[in-house]
Amino acid sequence: MKKDYTGVIKSLGAVFLGLLAGAVLMAAVGANPIKGYIYLFQGGFKSFERLGNVFAISTALILTGLSVAFAFRTGLFNIGASGQMLMGGLAATAVALTFDNLPRIILLPFMFIVALLGGALWGIIPGLLKAKFNVHEVVATIMMNWIAYWIVYYTVKAYFTAGLETETASISAAAQLRLPWLTDFLNGSYLNMGILIAIGSVIIIKLILDKTTLGYELKAVGFNRHAARYAGIKVNRSIILSMMIAGGLAGLAGLTYYTGYSINMQIGVLPVQGFDGIAVALLGATTPWGVFFAATFFGLLHAGKGFMSANTVIPPQIADTIIAIIIYFTATSLFIEKLWVRFKTKRAETKKIKSGGDE
Amino acid sequence: MKKVLLVVLAVVMAASLFIGCTKTVLLAEVGMVTDAGTIDDKSFNQGTWEGIVEAGKDFDYAPKYLKPTGTTQADYMVEITNLVDSGYKLIVCPGFKFETTIFEAQDKYPDTKFVLIDGTPHTADYSTFTLGANVVSIFFAEEQSGFMAGVAAAVELETAEFGFIGGMEIPPVQRFNWGFQQGLAYANENFGTNATIKSENVIYQGTFSEVAAGAALAAQMYDKGVDVIFAAAGGVGVGAITEAKARAVKGEAVWIVGVDVDQYPDGVYEGENSIILTSAMKGIGAASYDMVKAYNEGTFPGGETLIFNAENDGIGIPDENPNLSKATAKTVDDVFKDMKAGTITVSAEQGSLFQ
Repeated sequence: MKKDYTGVIKSLGAVFLGLLAGAVLMAAVGANPIKGYIYLFQGGFKSFERLGNVFAISTALILTGLSVAFAFRTGLFNIGASGQMLMGGLAATAVALTFDNLPRIILLPFMFIVALLGGALWGIIPGLLKAKFNVHEVVATIMMNWIAYWIVYYTVKAYFTAGLETETASISAAAQLRLPWLTDFLNGSYLNMGILIAIGSVIIIKLILDKTTLGYELKAVGFNRHAARYAGIKVNRSIILSMMIAGGLAGLAGLTYYTGYSINMQIGVLPVQGFDGIAVALLGATTPWGVFFAATFFGLLHAGKGFMSANTVIPPQIADTIIAIIIYFTATSLFIEKLWVRFKTKRAETKKIKSGGDE
Repeated sequence: MKKVLLVVLAVVMAASLFIGCTKTVLLAEVGMVTDAGTIDDKSFNQGTWEGIVEAGKDFDYAPKYLKPTGTTQADYMVEITNLVDSGYKLIVCPGFKFETTIFEAQDKYPDTKFVLIDGTPHTADYSTFTLGANVVSIFFAEEQSGFMAGVAAAVELETAEFGFIGGMEIPPVQRFNWGFQQGLAYANENFGTNATIKSENVIYQGTFSEVAAGAALAAQMYDKGVDVIFAAAGGVGVGAITEAKARAVKGEAVWIVGVDVDQYPDGVYEGENSIILTSAMKGIGAASYDMVKAYNEGTFPGGETLIFNAENDGIGIPDENPNLSKATAKTVDDVFKDMKAGTITVSAEQGSLFQ
């Protein structure tokens, strides 16, 4: 099988350009960029605790990145990972708080399933709207985000608070994805079983996309909807299925984030991981393992930026801006490539027409 | 393209040569982790930070603040660890959201000193409250501050309809609200004013960040005949101020009562005029300044809970209120003195008050 490395090279190039632009910005605020990056990477790798936190932060990003990437392969733009994450998290948290006397071995799979279903439901609605009424999924998913936001807001306030009005009660130790021995081993890191869910999802999505008829059909729809329909693929069914799976993945992100990384849910917050997932998917060239490495890189940036700020004159806003610049470069590099391809094909087409006209 | 890259690289290298030469004698020991919201939120984070910066100038510290990625305990802990690992010895954390984080951090980093504003360390399930010997917990009597602002506003306007916009429904904001309502009632009873407030005009928006929602809520209230809005709501309050300014420019007589810090400058709309009638302040900056000072002098009151109230001038309305008459200022001063002396007490509980 022929391996295609252009995606990898493009992503690494984008990261390099991003880091370079970040260096210019660091120099502009009067910091030494080399030192800055040394602190940034030390912040991620200096200790087991920090290394654990890199993966703890990237766990949710892997899943939201997968969610966006998967929908993207079917030609759908899922901006709704945040809302799907909220619904998955809310379902898991509700189960964790309601059935807190169940044994861990039953409770955790139960939470896993409801998180999956919660996210899938929030994906299936925009999918249906797209398939039946041709409502653009970008609009639908963004609106679903806010519906989820306010559902969480009122549901949590009405049923799940304890002490504070603005967050749920904390879930019991039995319902947490955290493993005490792992936390102790990593000196208090927030790494939890969520990373296994994330890696497992990467493998499963890779299998679905590459080895199954379903994956083939979804990708065919993504490449060319009309050709797929002509080939006898049920396009509408594919759209709904794709959004459902994407939603389920984001729902699992909610599970890992709200019952692993955090142990309660706060109201009035639309998780940024949903939007960062778009950048992760783009940087990862919308392939499962690409998403994994891209998310890990983002985890490193997020885990290390505070350490960089603490040790240099780079303020947190500039640290955030540097991350944003890197994201920007990764996003635009793919965009530029797309434009280039379109430009080339257009030119080829006009040439053909012209040469045809000359005859 | 290659040439551009080379130039950029050269600039970076050159720049990095110049930096690193500047040596500073300031000690990097005092840090802060911000709560939800930004450092320039014109209230909570900013107030805390300004106190730290001022103390840094006075006692030769180069203070540093870090901004967490999210608002979970994990996010806060990551930033605290960043400061500790970088050699910071005193860390100020504004906001009740740090309660569970500090509970862990106080044992994990026993050599680091923590200041927790508006909260006290406890476990996530509220079963255990432990204030470490390296932690100072600071509270403010927001109800007294709201009370003073309520009295001042009622006495100045004599007859007016009031409203309240809160951010999230959390204890400090609730205390501002309840104190304010008590202040209006006190003015009605003792100074013959006619200050009214309807239950429908006491609203918690639900966030500290939705500026547009703050403007919309304020617009609704003003349209329903409210004259003065007490906005204890961070960014939501900024929206309310913007709405009030727009109306004031058109000649409407609308007012805002500010919160946390003296917001008079934020309400200026034409020349010297401001729609900020007065502000219900809490001395966050003074408190954080005091803690840095105590740390510097080796008298950090670790293990203690400090309450800032009228008695120690920890709360109140601004000394200068250009929108209040001299007579009003005099009346309010007397009320403040009575509060200091303990002859006026303000409840920190809801009781029969709205929301």
